Amino acid sequence: MNIYLKNFLRFCIIVLLQVLILKRITLIWWTNPHTFPAFIPDVYPLFILLLPFEISVWALLLLGFTLGITIDTFMNTGGIHAFAMVLVAYLRTNVLNALMPRNLNEYVNQQPTIKTMGWMPFLVYSAFLIFIHHSVFYILEMWNVGNLNILLIKIAVSTITTMLFILIYILLFTRQNAAKL
Amino acid sequence: MRNLILFIRRFFNLILFLLLEILCIILIGNTNTVQGNDIVSSANTIAGIVYKKHSDVLYYFGLRNMNDSLLYENARLRNQLEKYKYTDLLKDSIVHLQIGNNDTSKIHTTKYYDFIYRTARVINNSTNATDNYITINRGSKDGISKNMAVISSTGIVGRVEHVSAHYASIFSVLSSKHKVSAKLKNGTNGFVIWDEKDPDILTMIDVPQQINVKQGDSIYTNFSQYYPPDILIGVVQKVEMIKKNALQQIYLKSSTDFHNLQYVYVIENTMASEKKQLEELNNKK
Repeated sequence: MNIYLKNFLRFCIIVLLQVLILKRITLIWWTNPHTFPAFIPDVYPLFILLLPFEISVWALLLLGFTLGITIDTFMNTGGIHAFAMVLVAYLRTNVLNALMPRNLNEYVNQQPTIKTMGWMPFLVYSAFLIFIHHSVFYILEMWNVGNLNILLIKIAVSTITTMLFILIYILLFTRQNAAKL
Repeated sequence: MRNLILFIRRFFNLILFLLLEILCIILIGNTNTVQGNDIVSSANTIAGIVYKKHSDVLYYFGLRNMNDSLLYENARLRNQLEKYKYTDLLKDSIVHLQIGNNDTSKIHTTKYYDFIYRTARVINNSTNATDNYITINRGSKDGISKNMAVISSTGIVGRVEHVSAHYASIFSVLSSKHKVSAKLKNGTNGFVIWDEKDPDILTMIDVPQQINVKQGDSIYTNFSQYYPPDILIGVVQKVEMIKKNALQQIYLKSSTDFHNLQYVYVIENTMASEKKQLEELNNKK
């Protein structure tokens, strides 16, 4: 499949998934609802994570901004998602450069998955970027350092949850790619 | 100038990054003002369309709950209505003074019919047997007992025949053995039976020939052991004179659609046993 079409479809699917389904799943800590905040798993940065290796930084930035603004539009959050997303898009190239043995330009027509990177590097790569994204997002969203405990718990738990969702997504869709290759 | 262009080319990514972040911060800042920014909010057209479609789809999944809640609402309203319908104002009777009741407005009011409506969902239904039974998802644990009347939102259905803990089977009007005491609009009594042929057609018998019955007249239940009064049974479709005994036979279109019966009300007459006891005293003598 054409790589542009494929990524466009992925964009639509991830946005719809996030906006129509994941938005409704409000996870609440079941043991003690009073001290634990409710949160929504934000899986949509996955789109940026899965773009091809050799994509240039300015394209990444613009795509990240578009994705963030789209999510903001649906979630009514102004530009918070976009802010976090642009940051993630900017950091992506550096993280990948640090993790991959060769120069990124040498991976032609490949995208960061478990198949191309291996389990550990991919997990580190996605977990780091998701953590950055969630930290920035929740800090901006709460805009209040008074509840530092809640902020930290929120960041930690939503990062873990999002990573679970991302793993599920990767496991569901990797085999299809393998069959095509 | 050349240095500036070189600088921009060299740090293009960083500049773009900073510009986009500043744009985002401006957007965030604008969101909390009174004017707001309508472009980045779910009030905009595309997000609106997506959310509309989404809720349209989800609407269908909620229909059953909505139906149930409407049904309960109806039952509640019917119960309230009964309070006004079947009370008798015996203004000068001292016998009915309720001792210990301080509410003066109720002193002379005597309830003599008291009906409780309960809702139920039909889980099994037949229309093509000689004696048709309907099963509902309410039983003795929900307060259903034998011989309670069952109606649909449009008219009569039958009466409760067997009750288990969680289910009850209803002896449908569509049965060869079921005889319902009925009345015409002017009060003429008769009986409605089923001739075992067409589940849409009921027959009313024992109506004298001098009574003028027109097509389209409504037939209601009479107050009897089982049914509350004034529940619609059906409308007259055809009238047939029987020459030998000066009676006429009326064919009715049943008001309840037995083919597509989904929800019913079970009516409990709380005074039924008292009335029955009294009438049995008469029979003993």
